[in-house]
Amino acid sequence: MAAPMELRCWGGDWGLPSLHPESLIVMAYAKFSGAPLIVNTINNSWRAPKGDLPVLVSGDIVISQPAKILNFLRKQKYNADYDLSAKQGADTLAYIALLEEKLLPALLHTFWIEAENYCSVTKPWFASKIVFPLSLYLPGKMSRGALNRILLTKGGPPLYSLTEVEAQIYRDAKECLNLLSKRLGTSQFYFGDTPTTLDAFVFGFLAPIYKVCFPRVQLQEHLKQLPNLCRFCDDILTCYFRLTVSSHSPAGQDTADANLQKLTQLVNKESNLIEKMDDNLRKSPQHPPRKLTTLKLAAGGEESSPMSRLSP
Amino acid sequence: SSISTAAEPWPENAALYQQLKEEQILLSDNASSLAVQAFLQMCNLPIRVICRANAEYMSPSGKLPFIHVGNQVVSELGPIVQFVKAKGHSLSDGLDEVQKAEMKAYMELVNNMLLTAELYLQWCDDVTVEEITHPRYGSPYPWPLNRILSYQKQWEVRRKMKAIGWAGKTLEQVLEDVDQCCHALSQRLGTQPYFFNKQPTELDALVFGHLFTILTTQLITDELSEKVKNYSNLTAFCRRIEQQYFEGHEKDSSAIAARSSKRSLLR
Repeated sequence: MAAPMELRCWGGDWGLPSLHPESLIVMAYAKFSGAPLIVNTINNSWRAPKGDLPVLVSGDIVISQPAKILNFLRKQKYNADYDLSAKQGADTLAYIALLEEKLLPALLHTFWIEAENYCSVTKPWFASKIVFPLSLYLPGKMSRGALNRILLTKGGPPLYSLTEVEAQIYRDAKECLNLLSKRLGTSQFYFGDTPTTLDAFVFGFLAPIYKVCFPRVQLQEHLKQLPNLCRFCDDILTCYFRLTVSSHSPAGQDTADANLQKLTQLVNKESNLIEKMDDNLRKSPQHPPRKLTTLKLAAGGEESSPMSRLSP
Repeated sequence: SSISTAAEPWPENAALYQQLKEEQILLSDNASSLAVQAFLQMCNLPIRVICRANAEYMSPSGKLPFIHVGNQVVSELGPIVQFVKAKGHSLSDGLDEVQKAEMKAYMELVNNMLLTAELYLQWCDDVTVEEITHPRYGSPYPWPLNRILSYQKQWEVRRKMKAIGWAGKTLEQVLEDVDQCCHALSQRLGTQPYFFNKQPTELDALVFGHLFTILTTQLITDELSEKVKNYSNLTAFCRRIEQQYFEGHEKDSSAIAARSSKRSLLR
């Protein structure tokens, strides 16, 4: 077997395994395809993150972008798209392009450019994970990179000021969320009942918007009006990441309590929904038995079978 | 003001502006212009193509092509589709919500991969830049303005490539991306005449614009057009649209002009 694969990426909070969309995409894909990744999140005691994260290291091989990392995993036979038809594979590429063009700018803006969000949440969080003195410099660099990207790709005439660009990118993002919701409909995942690359990408982009507690949350509020997308994220978190809901947020005890309350309510709602889905599935004769176990709310941490779905 | 635009019918003298066909226009702008022309033909809206050396500066967004209809000026395919829709013409009304989402996603795929690859090839591949792009882009202007303008544009495009992570790609990787995109388009099209079966939509116009231009533009090497030629249903698709919507319009047929530009493209 090849050398063990290690993923270096940003860690998580607010109930997420990672705050960083690209890191989350790779983590989700690894869970879906059963790839045994050793995940090392950046924290103060780790080497300074050079270049872009996430980075996959396997022996001598170092790979750095989500698309390339996923390609590598597929070549190692960890293929979550095994059952997809060629047309579904094509749809995957198209929807990923849609996410990058229409949703990513607003996501970057919410995290790195919106002043209140950046100063009170993003910068402190990232700075706390990076070793001093890099923590003084790197968050600012990431923020400038994000602004640059948005202005260069979206900021031409007739949009002349940053506020006009902002208005446009949030409009685009909300439309993109609506499209994603319509495409998902009532299915559990985008191509049936097993998650694929597209699910990893959608999850990677949506989950940070959904879970991170920012002061300015217009995108989150829009997302919360699309319950099937929220359910999609929560399903993946509970089934594939088996995260409990009591992860703390650094924003202080009061907000932690409020979050806990909100999360408890969500969990109760989710467990009702999941029981309902469970019942539906039990009635349907076509689903293989192992799918049922992944839908039980994994509070007790029982093993679920997605890990064993290695393609031959 | 959107009410007044909707009220006016499509005028006879609607015009589409692009750069000079023979000497100046580049691959990416030609593709975008052809896409808009195809879209308008599919909607049965007459349009004249007017070539101007300063078209880029006349455009309200700096991007080409733009159309001048009545007293409105609209640039780029996306806004033009919206504008035409406000006037009551649409190719995608018959699609359901999921199909519309799919159509938008595939249009983003073409913009994200094909258009970016064309821009990369034109402005970041040194050989192409020296031998084709710089001479063509600056051709209407005297020295040293021609050089200054093309370097300025090149710097702008390279900045953008860097911001989206394409600056580090090699030409082989870019061609790989083009192949991946064509593969996806070919799979999606399958054996249907158009992407949404019987009727063309703006997606068909966009794909036609890019693929036809790639197939008929002569570059330093044939690598780019070979990628498209690998997929026979895509070349058949281009031929079908050309025959149906462009043949018989001898004077302004961009298809025929593109073929002639193939012969005289270099220098």
